[in-house]
Amino acid sequence: MNIVIIGNGVAGIEAARTVRRAQPAWSITLVSEESDHFISRTALMWVVSGQLSHRCIEPHERDLYRREGFTRVRARAVGVDLAARRVLLGGGLDPLPYDRLLVASGSRPRPGPWPGSDLPGVGSLVTLQDCEWLEGALHGGASHAGRPPNPDAHHGSSGPTSPYWPKPAVGRPRQAAVVGGGLIGIEAVEVLVAAKVPVRFYIREDWFWPMALDARESAWIAERMREHGVEMRLGEELVAFEGGERLEGVRSSGGTEPADLAVVAIGVQPNTEWLKGSGLERDERSGGLRVDEHLRTSDPHVFAAGDCAAVRWADGSVRPEQLWYTARDQGRVAGRNLLGEDAVYARGPWYNSAKLMDIEYTTAGLVGDVPDERTFFHEETGAVHSTTRVVLSGDRVVGFNMLGRRWDHSVLVRFIEEERSLDHVLDHLHEAAFDTEFVPPLVIPAGGTAGRRNDDNDDDRPRGRA
Amino acid sequence: MDRQGQNGLLSTFREGWRSRQASAWLIAGLLIGFYLWLYFEDRGWFPESMKLMDPAAQAVGLRNRWFLYGFLYCLAMVGGAVYYLRRHGNSRYNQIRIAVNLLVQTLLAFTLPFVMYVFTNQDFYASYLWPLKIEYLYPQTLEHYPVYIAIYCVLAALVATPILALTLGKRWYCSWVCGCGGLANTFGDPWRHLTSSSTRSWRFEKVTVHTVLVLAVSLTVLVAVDFFWGASLPRYHSVVGELRSLYGLFVGAILAGVVGVGLYPLFGPRVWCRNFCPMAALLGLTQKLGRFRIAVKPDMCISCGNCTTYCEMGIDVRAYAQENESFTRAACVGCGMCAHVCPRGVLKLENAPKGKSLPVVG
Ligand SMILES: Cc1cc2nc3c(=O)[nH]c(=O)nc-3n(C[C@H](O)[C@H](O)[C@H](O)COP(=O)(O)OP(=O)(O)OC[C@H]3O[C@@H](n4cnc5c(N)ncnc54)[C@H](O)[C@@H]3O)c2cc1C
Ligand code: SF4
Repeated sequence: MNIVIIGNGVAGIEAARTVRRAQPAWSITLVSEESDHFISRTALMWVVSGQLSHRCIEPHERDLYRREGFTRVRARAVGVDLAARRVLLGGGLDPLPYDRLLVASGSRPRPGPWPGSDLPGVGSLVTLQDCEWLEGALHGGASHAGRPPNPDAHHGSSGPTSPYWPKPAVGRPRQAAVVGGGLIGIEAVEVLVAAKVPVRFYIREDWFWPMALDARESAWIAERMREHGVEMRLGEELVAFEGGERLEGVRSSGGTEPADLAVVAIGVQPNTEWLKGSGLERDERSGGLRVDEHLRTSDPHVFAAGDCAAVRWADGSVRPEQLWYTARDQGRVAGRNLLGEDAVYARGPWYNSAKLMDIEYTTAGLVGDVPDERTFFHEETGAVHSTTRVVLSGDRVVGFNMLGRRWDHSVLVRFIEEERSLDHVLDHLHEAAFDTEFVPPLVIPAGGTAGRRNDDNDDDRPRGRA
Repeated sequence: MDRQGQNGLLSTFREGWRSRQASAWLIAGLLIGFYLWLYFEDRGWFPESMKLMDPAAQAVGLRNRWFLYGFLYCLAMVGGAVYYLRRHGNSRYNQIRIAVNLLVQTLLAFTLPFVMYVFTNQDFYASYLWPLKIEYLYPQTLEHYPVYIAIYCVLAALVATPILALTLGKRWYCSWVCGCGGLANTFGDPWRHLTSSSTRSWRFEKVTVHTVLVLAVSLTVLVAVDFFWGASLPRYHSVVGELRSLYGLFVGAILAGVVGVGLYPLFGPRVWCRNFCPMAALLGLTQKLGRFRIAVKPDMCISCGNCTTYCEMGIDVRAYAQENESFTRAACVGCGMCAHVCPRGVLKLENAPKGKSLPVVG
């Protein structure tokens, strides 16, 4: 059996490992344009700052491909011939025949819709090549630990429309702009702050990351960003990037301000444009490949997993899940189905964690924009600064948004699945604590109920385990 | 303030002296030179005119070169601690651990022996235990100490150490008390990312560290036999004498000093602890049986590699974290840095009863 996988990201690699575990003799070929080795995309920000080297973000030892007997092809796939079961490669390379194909081609940065978005100095932070571009601009190149291996190996088969094509190098910026108030945006801000480049952060909405944070939580993050010298431009719509040879200024609804480097972080979109016209069905809105619950595309020999697949969410909607652990899980399910099994990809409840500047963040369940009557909110000040927000539906808990402390999301998810009441959850919250040792535990004063802030509480009896 | 987690991004690999550039080699050269001088100037390796250590010590009012060394050691630790706390000091665990380490070093390993020497003409380092300080179980040594010190040596090495390692893990010693660990975690901390995390280096470590342990235990037995029966076995007595000084030269001076500290800037601060220290080997084996472990929060690891990179013992923490496996590794000294730098709060050091499922439900 001949398996071909497009993409050696987490979805592709996990699928390949799953197949190999069951079938030591099958031929498995991984095609990747971006890098020789599987890398952790989530870790690019630390490579830019120099906290990690390019080598550090390879999750497996380099002999992975040899050990597992994976064939590696460093090239750009430009299409699939479903009838002949062949993947077409760019640069005049011979097509790759397959018996079963997995598309795990991830996402590309969503380009800015504004004039000037293609000026040198405007870029993003999604691909390895973006990372190298930022390393060059901020630090004059790779750290002492060196560049990624074979950075140019795919050039023959690629071109400037590819997300993995190198960005034009620019010199060290005097003033940077980051556009888009989400997770990648704040990572870009951190990287620029660490490189001591002044940053303006343009966010269309009235506060940072309204999809996940409420106004109070967001205000805290914004305050922390300001402490680090970030100029917040909240509620400002971008109009254009301006400049000649290189970016010179950013025009927004608030006026024009100088900037010679801009990181656009307004989201990512599935990397499936190379499959247009191949006959594989794509989801109109998101561009993700349509898959069934077995992650099978419209062609029975072709599967899709990870960021490029539009899957059905717990709430019934169909769109890609752009998360590391879901890409990994989808890769494993796709791997089993490449083996001929009938594994089902079942999306569990939403959870995630991140670090917003220096502030730890954990979320589980539904936390979007919820009216005050349906939330319990507690702000802890003192030795530890943290916020705890519990979202209710009727009298059961449906979501958590936690800042400033570490939590085990799996316990929070369990509370939600067991449809616990607020009282139960507050009494048992310590079971989810995952703080490092010697951090004083969270104590929430009793008496807080849905819709009330802790500052309304006059009853100070401690609740839960101290 | 944030009491846990790394505050701000590090620029480790962009600093030449921390990335095996020329400056790092220079620092390594200076350190190696210093240790050669310290250990070998009176072994006939150096001309008379170059014997500086003892005169230098006396010039600053310290009795001999070992007190001078102890003093410089404390200075290096204090300087390193300041640097360390500036980068990682927001964390409660790091603050407390480094404070204890500094206190132990300055009080138990420097002030106490200094004062004791004044009164008894003998020195004793209460924070160093057998088999790291191998002579502290030699009957020949114990005989010369006041009886309470002899009892301390035996109980600390054979009773307290295993009990503490079973309940708290190897860390109680290696990253809270020990002077070698203390220097590694302060002065040596800027180079912690240089420890190799390859499988090959792990294999090497397992062979070497257990070999030294076997040597240390065997030598202790040989020396004890010599104590009781050596008088009637002159040949045996002289061979054991030779072995003692060979062990002292290779393990004590070359591996612990010249290689152990000299190579900080090139191979990380735990070359000695990881590959050669018999105490670490023994504590590691005990730790495997005990309660200490690194708990892994399920399905949250993003495989970024911060934990593996900043593990000074070369443990590939990520390999466990990305497979959702809580684990106990013999090498782990419990410095807590993996949990500190993990950007997703995946890792947690804990002393939990075996087999207890995560999270620890109270
Ligand atoms: C800066 C950043 C931070 C992130 N942080 C987090 C986080 O903290 N937590 C989290 O859960 N998620 C995070 N994510 C999202 C997460 O990284 C992705 O969801 C995940 O990497 C998707 O994996 P994948 O295998 O689907 O695709 P990718 O990792 O994107 O891999 C795509 C692969 O496909 C190959 N490829 C694509 N097109 C072609 C082609 N035409 N020809 C040949 N090869 C091709 C590429 O070479 C690459 O190997 C982050 C993403 C970014 C960009
Ligand atoms: S455990 Fe944390 S530091 Fe280690 S790889 Fe996973 S996310 Fe990164």
